[in-house]
Amino acid sequence: MINLNKNIIRSILIPSYVLIIVIIISGISSLFAYLNTGADRSSMLHTKLEKIEQYIPEVTWSPLNNEGRPMDEEVLKKIENDYLDAWYVKLVAYKTNTTFGIKDYYTDNARENIFAFIELNVKEKVTVESTTLNHNPTLEFFSEDGQLAVFTDKDVIEYKRVFKDEKLILETTEKSTYKIIVLLEDGFWRIRHFVKERSERFKTEPDLIAAEYLNIKGINYYPQATPWDMFGDAFLINTISNDFKIIKDSGLNSIRVFVQYDDFGKADVDKEKLEKLRLTLDAAEENGLKVVITLFDFYGDYSVLNWTLNRRHAKTIISGLKDHNAIVAWDIKNEPNLDFDSRGKVNVTSWLDNMIDLVKSIDPNHPVTIGWSNVQSASILKDKVDIVSFHYYEDIKTLDLAIENLKKEVGEKPIVLQEFGMSSYAGIWKPFGSSEEDQANYHKKAQDIIAAYNLQFMSWTLYDFEAVPKEVVGSLPWRKNVQKRFGFIDINGTKKSAFKFISQ
Amino acid sequence: MRNKYIYLSLLALILSSSFTLLQNSKVTQNFTLETIQTEFEAGSPMALKFSTSRETAPLLYCSSSYGSTLIVPTYKSKFLIYDMPLNISSKIGFVNWKLIYKDSSVSGKFQIHPKKEVSSMETYIGPPSIEAGGTDYTMLVVIPTDSLDNPFPENTLVLAKHQFLNSEKNEEIFTKDLISYKTIYSQKESGRLLVSSEALGINSKEFSVAVFPAIPIDFKISATRPHDYADGNQLTTFSTSILVDQHNNIVSDATYVTFFITNEKGNILKTSGATINGVATSKMIHPDYETEWSVKAYVDGIAESELIILRYKQVIKDFEVVFSENKREITVGPLQSFMKQIIPDGFQVKLLIYKNNTLFNTETKTSFEGLVNFNLKPDIYKNDSYTIVIKTAGLEKTFNSKIL
Repeated sequence: MINLNKNIIRSILIPSYVLIIVIIISGISSLFAYLNTGADRSSMLHTKLEKIEQYIPEVTWSPLNNEGRPMDEEVLKKIENDYLDAWYVKLVAYKTNTTFGIKDYYTDNARENIFAFIELNVKEKVTVESTTLNHNPTLEFFSEDGQLAVFTDKDVIEYKRVFKDEKLILETTEKSTYKIIVLLEDGFWRIRHFVKERSERFKTEPDLIAAEYLNIKGINYYPQATPWDMFGDAFLINTISNDFKIIKDSGLNSIRVFVQYDDFGKADVDKEKLEKLRLTLDAAEENGLKVVITLFDFYGDYSVLNWTLNRRHAKTIISGLKDHNAIVAWDIKNEPNLDFDSRGKVNVTSWLDNMIDLVKSIDPNHPVTIGWSNVQSASILKDKVDIVSFHYYEDIKTLDLAIENLKKEVGEKPIVLQEFGMSSYAGIWKPFGSSEEDQANYHKKAQDIIAAYNLQFMSWTLYDFEAVPKEVVGSLPWRKNVQKRFGFIDINGTKKSAFKFISQ
Repeated sequence: MRNKYIYLSLLALILSSSFTLLQNSKVTQNFTLETIQTEFEAGSPMALKFSTSRETAPLLYCSSSYGSTLIVPTYKSKFLIYDMPLNISSKIGFVNWKLIYKDSSVSGKFQIHPKKEVSSMETYIGPPSIEAGGTDYTMLVVIPTDSLDNPFPENTLVLAKHQFLNSEKNEEIFTKDLISYKTIYSQKESGRLLVSSEALGINSKEFSVAVFPAIPIDFKISATRPHDYADGNQLTTFSTSILVDQHNNIVSDATYVTFFITNEKGNILKTSGATINGVATSKMIHPDYETEWSVKAYVDGIAESELIILRYKQVIKDFEVVFSENKREITVGPLQSFMKQIIPDGFQVKLLIYKNNTLFNTETKTSFEGLVNFNLKPDIYKNDSYTIVIKTAGLEKTFNSKIL
């Protein structure tokens, strides 16, 4: 009995001893690891300073013709950087009513004015969310000792949202002209005097393009092997080109592809991805297909302070591709109305509104649309878009009614049924799902309605997919599996019965 | 029956539309701006006054040079009064405002000008030192500001005053782009330039700019020495003439001058000094053998002197060498200088020992009381035949000896 007890005690003691040793050693090693952090030679000397772009409005300097000392590009760049940073810290300060960073970019006297405003706004519970979109500075004067500069920033486009008690009171866009004196202090070009010389409300008249000539009969396209990752490492132009041939041969004339905001490098657009997109456009052109490019896919933050980054992203892509023959239209964003709840309708629509203006200013020749996820939202911003697009995954029986209502609202504007389709999934996760035959019937019916209303369309989608990333419909299997079977062609490459009704 | 419905609905439509018309007109007429003033002086009380028929208190959006805010009105007998907060009323520039009431489009703007009096002259002057000669200049930048730190509008008269030696100038400049500036050129002389400015009767404090002499032009050098013997002991002092720039200003103190001395063998000696009152001096020890020095001085990359030649005479005509019996102890001397005096301690003597015509060892010693002793140690020098050479003061003596 005693022996047994001893053995029990031993069998407890020995492992617990081992456990304690393990814990101590791992504790010491993690302490060592912690003390070693930052000892990396490459980071010790701060030789590489990475500048994160957080605020990049368009800045266009007038040709240099200033009084005083001749200006050089390096100094001008530094002034521009510090000036934009000064704007940025001010915008953040008025948004949050805190003074972080103000001291670096405003001189002792100038910062008092901002502090006073913050104090007032704190008292009145006012916050101002704002950004500037364009700056057109002209250097007026640069002092001989290189310590003082005066410039006029003409036609600064400022977008503002003013809140009181966290309630939106006013949304406004202003065009203002400022005169600014900056001083070089402690290596910063700090703002010394800041005078608003002119200001007016800024309103862009929608420069609409008559898009009646369009006759989009298309399909939403992702390669079968790489859905939602079309321009990744597995990009194969031959596969895409073959798919385009299939699409063209089926009687369709266009495709819709997606540019993911993060994937394409955000504000600093990945050149390689842009090149892949250009190759895709080339392949479409060769096959006689037109392309609708959907921008800002998987982008969900509409905050005002990020606008300049979004705009730089859009500008790079659109100015790079706008002259391509295959482009038929720009789709600003896929299903933005799904973000109304989480981000606020005002945030989303004003973002879209401004983005349309930007896209049209860069490319005045191609029509613009927004891929609303349902017909109810489709009339939002109808006076700004050239084509009204909506997606329809509800009961096909109510489609004609939906179209009729929409037609009443948007009038003569061309309407594109930009996504519709039915999954042929019926299985363990959805026992009473639809069969391939149901899918074929659905598309037959849909095409009848399309023909009846003379609609333009883009169906969802060419292929069934092996896998669907969780970002698309979440990770629930009954959603994922359904999403995999929307194609006209199945996993094995055979055409499903719906393929007959892919086009009219 | 059907017609009846149509009529009814038509009637309802007309009624409702006229009602909305009424509503609309009410909204727009509801607020009328009573303030006609659109230009204000900074710091003065500013208020926008609206007449209104109903007691509502819409917010007023206001945006000035530095920021935006919302203003709550006070209601006083059918008038809404929006008092501008101090941070708007005290800064110059454009203020745009908008009354926020439904779709009301009552909006407008006014302008704030600086106060009439200048309170401080914000002055920047630079560079703080310039070169004499009339080509270099400094720049005075003046921003006249009022007591609320607002710069003055275009075309405000500013007097730029500066004094240099006998000249006092007073020039009119005008503000443009918030600032006024004046470039002030140096004159031929070096010195100190005093600058100040005045606007609307208010004077700035005094600023000064140093006008330094320009770079030196070519110059002369001279040498002084106690005697012209190459005794390896006395010092020759080199000095420059007074270094001046092309306008005859004495160059700044501590201008660095380097003297290059080339002897007959082509070796170069270098010594240097910094100027004080335009003169740089530097010293070099005499050579210990007869030679000729060519000396030239430079201000690096800027100016140079003429060449001077110095001759040094031989001091030791001959010297004696005494060997001990076993030839291991060698005594050189006594070494005598030009007046037969014992040469000062520290004169260098070199002993070179050759074995089979190859250099075996060199020993260098300096004199003490005119003598130098060499002691050839048996550990190093085995008993053998050696050639011994003794060199001093440019003289040389050779002995073949057998060390025992």
